Amino acid sequence: MKKKKRNNDSAAVNSKLIRKPIERCFLIFLAPTLAAFTIGFVYPFLKGFYLSFCSFKTTSDATFIGLGNYVKALGDPSFTHAFWYTALYAIVSLLLINIIAFVIAYVLTQGIKGANIFRTVFFMPNLIGGIVLGYIWSMIFNGILSRYGTSILMETRFGFWGLIILMCWQQIGYMMIIYIAGLQAIPQDMMEAAKIDGASRMQTLFHITIPNVMPSITICMFLSLTNAFKLFDQNLALTNGQPYEFLADGSVVKTTEMLALNIYNTFYGQNTAARGTAQAKAVIFFVLVAAISIAQLSANRKKEVQQ
Amino acid sequence: MSGLSLQHIKKVYPNGYEAVQDFNLEIEDKEFIIFVGPSGCGKSTTLRMIAGLEEISSGDLYIDGKRVNDIEPKDRDIAMVFQSYALYPHMTVRENMAFSLKIKKTPKDEIDKAVNEAAKILDLEELMDRKPKALSGGQRQRVAMGRAIVRHPKVFLMDEPLSNLDAKLRGQMRVEISRLHQRLGATIIYVTHDQTEAMTLGTRIVVMSKGKVEQIDTPQNLYNYPKNMFVAGFIGSPQMNFLDAKCIEKNGHIILQLGDYPISIPERKQKILKEKGYVGKTVVLGIRPEDLYVDNSSVEKFKNSMIQSQIRVYELLGAEVCLHFDFMGVTMTARVEADTPYRNGDTVTFALDPEKIHIFDKDTEITITN
Repeated sequence: MKKKKRNNDSAAVNSKLIRKPIERCFLIFLAPTLAAFTIGFVYPFLKGFYLSFCSFKTTSDATFIGLGNYVKALGDPSFTHAFWYTALYAIVSLLLINIIAFVIAYVLTQGIKGANIFRTVFFMPNLIGGIVLGYIWSMIFNGILSRYGTSILMETRFGFWGLIILMCWQQIGYMMIIYIAGLQAIPQDMMEAAKIDGASRMQTLFHITIPNVMPSITICMFLSLTNAFKLFDQNLALTNGQPYEFLADGSVVKTTEMLALNIYNTFYGQNTAARGTAQAKAVIFFVLVAAISIAQLSANRKKEVQQ
Repeated sequence: MSGLSLQHIKKVYPNGYEAVQDFNLEIEDKEFIIFVGPSGCGKSTTLRMIAGLEEISSGDLYIDGKRVNDIEPKDRDIAMVFQSYALYPHMTVRENMAFSLKIKKTPKDEIDKAVNEAAKILDLEELMDRKPKALSGGQRQRVAMGRAIVRHPKVFLMDEPLSNLDAKLRGQMRVEISRLHQRLGATIIYVTHDQTEAMTLGTRIVVMSKGKVEQIDTPQNLYNYPKNMFVAGFIGSPQMNFLDAKCIEKNGHIILQLGDYPISIPERKQKILKEKGYVGKTVVLGIRPEDLYVDNSSVEKFKNSMIQSQIRVYELLGAEVCLHFDFMGVTMTARVEADTPYRNGDTVTFALDPEKIHIFDKDTEITITN
């Protein structure tokens, strides 16, 4: 009995004498992370946002000019082209990467021999860096296209599909792992129940399997969508925006240039006066990616189920 | 509704493990058959072979006279209720119940009729638009039943359907299932490791152990006439007490000597022991806790078959009391009336009802006489 009382006392000590001061001093515990987050993310983000309304060459000589940068950014044909090109790339890669990754994951979870080896092999491209991949694939594509007297830099469609193939090759393994985890989480009983209920393999796939891997589909779609919009290294290494198209007004549109590369080229290009415009493009880019991702997440989340 | 025939069914896994060995059973139409046994005895494997979820290694399975070994589960005309219920979490109760009919392309009005009828039987009408996560364990269990009912299958297979429920709900659902069996007049094969469920629900029980069928009989016969020590020990709770006894002849009578205590047994049992040549040998005496008595009138009545020991644990169950005591190095249990005056530490005389004594061969563990 005495022992029990002592236990109760220690619980009381635990809650009153230790928890309360911890709660009171929560700011001290929070401060290191908060400081790192503020210095590393919040401040640069706000500064970047401010700079998008300025004309500047270095961040210290910024002069506020209002919405001028945004007007220039939206009027830049290379930016609008990069946007539509990126959007098209995002849709095609999103569909291809996810469908192929799901199909491979589905096949590899059907108890076939050597599934573990296949999983490892499919995942391995993901371990290679984007720049290296870009150069390797440009050599492969050029090796093939040279037989037909052309190269990946000669036509926009080559650059487009080249990038799609490259990204599929790199990302399918990663998405496959997420889909495998999702598929393996479906209770075996439920699949057997469907079998007894008379569902064919296809009916089970569409009525039971897919609705139950919706959480994996959501995360994979989110990742491939944001990856597509943020794509930079591979774009730079594979085509660097080539071939170019020269417009009547003298401006140049790099036909395989995606949004991130366009922003980079604007910022670090020869025209240092365009840095403010690049900053405005970056803000537009952020809003776009955030809006699309949130819309996609909320649309998919509605279809998710809880066990 | 229909009968089943399992002939020399075997299940051998690729690693050589024999999960089910030579299973033979004829199931009549409308029977409620229970497969019972400890974990890993092969009862669920047998059920899954009947369902078609597990391949039959050898033997023949007939449903309604038709060999179904190589027929897909969906074409066997069976329905199954799983231990985990296996409801589809993304579908409402109504959609869960209608799924099998929907994929069979049954007309919508027929689906509605079947689903509503099942919902009425199982008292699910209020829950039809809810998803499984919004249901309690008992409600999910009823939906799983409903999903089976709507198909009007030839055979219902139930794999430990009540084991995820709490004790109170399990009791209620047991009654529900029993009522459902009467109402549907269906053939049901039910797997459980709970012998209370087996005894209360089944018209016949198949007791299994280590992949083998130990005995197939009615609950009453299994209780009264177990074929061996495994069945005797498995059926009945608390389980039967087993004691080594020397079978000796004294003054022209065969008695069982338990240490210093001689136990007389009825003429019929004496005759069998003598005929089978057990005199002078050690046998196993089995007595159920409820066949041990401590009240004066019983002790007087069975005065030639008594033992004495000190109570170690007094366990009140409500209407009854379990008295646990050690005798000849074995912990024994007696189930007696709750008004017994005996408590821990008391030395008590226990009378054995000679008619209820079971005698087993010590080596083969097979029943000599019940």
